[in-house]
Amino acid sequence: MAILEVKNLHKDFSGLKVLFGIDLRLEEGDRHAVIGPNGAGKSTLFNLITGKYVPTRGQVLFDGQDITGFPPHRVARLGLARSFQITNIFRTMTVFQNVRNAVLSRKGIRYQVFSRLSSLTWVNDEVDSILSQIGLLDRRNVAAGELAHGQQRALEIGLTLALDPKLILLDEPTAGMSSSESRDTVSLIERVTRGRTLVIVEHDMDVVFRIANRITVIYYGKVLASGPPEEIRNDQRVKDAYLGEERT
Amino acid sequence: MELTLSSIVIQALHGLVYGMLLFLVASGLTLVFGMMDVLNIAHAAFYMLGAYIGSTILLVTGSFWLALILAPICVGLLGALVERFFLRKVHVHGHAFELLITFGVFFVVGEVVKWIWGNFPRSMDPPGILSGSLHWMGMTYPAYRFFILVISSLVLLGLGYVFLKTRLGLAVRAAVSDASMVNALGINVPRLFLGVFSGGTALAGLAGVVAGPFLSTYPGMGLDMMVDTFVVVVVGGFGSLLGAFVASLMIGELQSFGVLFIPRLALVFQFLLMAIVLITRPTGLFGEKV
Amino acid sequence: MSRSIFLRGVLLAGVALLLLAAPRVLSIVQTRMLTEIAYFALFAVSYNFLFGWAGLLSFGHAAYFGLGAYVTAISLKHVAGLHLLAGMGLGGLAAALGGAVIGFFCVRRKGSYFALLTLAFNQFLWAIAWKWREVTGGDDGIGRIIPRKPVDMGFFYLDLTKIPNKYYFTMAVVVIFLAIGWYLLRTPFGNTIQVVKVNEERAAFLGYNVNRSKLLIFTLAAFYAGIAGSLFALFQDFVATSAIGLGMSTEVLFMAFLGGTGSYFGPMLGAAIFVYFTDWISSITEHWEFFLGVLFIILVLYFHRGFIGLIPSKVRAVFAAGE
Repeated sequence: MAILEVKNLHKDFSGLKVLFGIDLRLEEGDRHAVIGPNGAGKSTLFNLITGKYVPTRGQVLFDGQDITGFPPHRVARLGLARSFQITNIFRTMTVFQNVRNAVLSRKGIRYQVFSRLSSLTWVNDEVDSILSQIGLLDRRNVAAGELAHGQQRALEIGLTLALDPKLILLDEPTAGMSSSESRDTVSLIERVTRGRTLVIVEHDMDVVFRIANRITVIYYGKVLASGPPEEIRNDQRVKDAYLGEERT
Repeated sequence: MELTLSSIVIQALHGLVYGMLLFLVASGLTLVFGMMDVLNIAHAAFYMLGAYIGSTILLVTGSFWLALILAPICVGLLGALVERFFLRKVHVHGHAFELLITFGVFFVVGEVVKWIWGNFPRSMDPPGILSGSLHWMGMTYPAYRFFILVISSLVLLGLGYVFLKTRLGLAVRAAVSDASMVNALGINVPRLFLGVFSGGTALAGLAGVVAGPFLSTYPGMGLDMMVDTFVVVVVGGFGSLLGAFVASLMIGELQSFGVLFIPRLALVFQFLLMAIVLITRPTGLFGEKV
Repeated sequence: MSRSIFLRGVLLAGVALLLLAAPRVLSIVQTRMLTEIAYFALFAVSYNFLFGWAGLLSFGHAAYFGLGAYVTAISLKHVAGLHLLAGMGLGGLAAALGGAVIGFFCVRRKGSYFALLTLAFNQFLWAIAWKWREVTGGDDGIGRIIPRKPVDMGFFYLDLTKIPNKYYFTMAVVVIFLAIGWYLLRTPFGNTIQVVKVNEERAAFLGYNVNRSKLLIFTLAAFYAGIAGSLFALFQDFVATSAIGLGMSTEVLFMAFLGGTGSYFGPMLGAAIFVYFTDWISSITEHWEFFLGVLFIILVLYFHRGFIGLIPSKVRAVFAAGE
């Protein structure tokens, strides 16, 4: 059974139509990249899958369950986590507190009043473990807003990872990075997504061809092509529409 | 009270009068919110100021018409000062502080009014020609109320014209839609904001002068109007002028007829309407999803 | 033991001693004032549950204070043999219920709309209190609430007709609730509330039910306000519409911001300053409310961290909410 199925997804923002029937199918363990020109609807697709917006038409199925229209917190609790294109962390909290927020939520410890937060040592240990995975253990007590851009992006990924999701959606994780930073981030992504399914929106083709085992090209709200990287690389329509302009 | 056709018409007119007055005030509030994303809690205070300043001008000059012209100008100027020196300064700290400062202004204006004019109602007599009654088709209607209807209609028509048919109106409408874009197009947005804010408060001031002889001029009129305009915004939908118009008339009529049939609930009709709207149609009659 | 914990302990012990000794050293008037400060401190801290912790700006918090005051007064007066604590409990419960119902409509809206609704609902309740004379006494209010005979509290008898007893009782209740609040701030629940405040969108995508969290803290804040209200009713021995009106909502808002909404103690300091300041300034001029308003505006413009913000940060760090 496919881990994620998107069926005929439409989105209309009060007259502004963005998606015109998107179909997508993900098998468990896939590394699926979604590419396309700016404004093609990639982030909107993410937002529809993860519950920020409700589709005008169509369905989203996660592990066979219809999650169409579920609010974000329900989707997250089912094991579907996303990162944001524009860093969306808890800026006034420390790196440690940021990840802890995610861990607490994953463990369902949201309304508990019977113990002090600081006494939950096993939570703290888990947070530190995740911090070392994303390489931010030494920045543990730094306010998230004061981190360097690359580190903030790493934290962004860390927050998704901390939810221990079955499916991770990364929205342009290397946005604004230099090529060495991108390379580091790709290694990070490969490490932390082992054993999980990944969907990644990207503009950087090097990153895409390194990570992905399947690519879907979205062109102005419609799926233009979908298949293994080599197929996409050689697809004439794709070349005409997109890759020809974007080649870095 | 017997329910004759003429009595129904008269009650409906009463409701219309208050509804129009309410819209006069609520429109400024809605416009400022739609454009600047600021809920001006002090808005109704300017309404009150208009009434009080108007009453003093009336006392000093003996001319109601002078009060009608000068008071809104005074209030508009004060509104401009508030926008320029308080609101703009606090803008950087976020919405919460904008709300807090307008709340502070509302409170201080209320105290200033009590200090200058005393903590009791103030009489404000309409001019001679408007204090009688009109007779039409066997019905008698107070001339002053009819005057309110006329003047508010004129003002609204004038506003509507400016809004829909002039460049200024176009700029305002565009700014309501997307202020930063309008800025990018070279229009001086801060000045536009100042103008709309000031204009909105002047409008409220005008409503105050007009309302003075009708609803009486008293220290609590600011709060009472504030609550009613808030209900208008909830019922009509945040940021919708059409919604504000419909909601204002609804509330006017509801209070007019409601007091007649269930006087017990006199103070709470608008809240009940608000509660019903919140339950059945949370975004208001014409509002967008918030 | 770390230095800051030691200093904190010393200060707390000192304050506790002062509070215990107060009625013996202070005059009746001063003891009364201290009692007022106590329940207003609780009220102001409850307000800060909403603003400081959750980022929710309410202009109608007196609704719950008033509910607590009225329900306590009415139940103690009209239910024969009702125990003092039960009357207070009912007041708190009524306030919590009001908070849950009103909060349900308010918390799902964003900032300005939320603020507006809290104000509108407050006025709604005020109008009911004003009109429903049979139950609330209208603008005449309800008087003679305190039990005239000493109340059996289990270990001792409490005679609330004496000021020192009123003081100790109020202080005890307030201290207990404040301590519980301090603790709650450090639990996972307290963290959830702050998480939602810092970044609501990310919180939702991390699995936090934003509306439910807000509703929970709103209800808790209402409950605390209701307890403060019931203490108010017992202290004043009188409840009228002023307890539930916009004036009271304004006062608690002033208190919280005066002291500083960025710390747990800020609102308490604000309550103390407010009570002393208004007592002093109202004896000088009848237009004291005007000056209060001007002070508030100056505060918002220039000192939005409140009086606590004036304390040097090193000193503040000693008492700051540690993890």
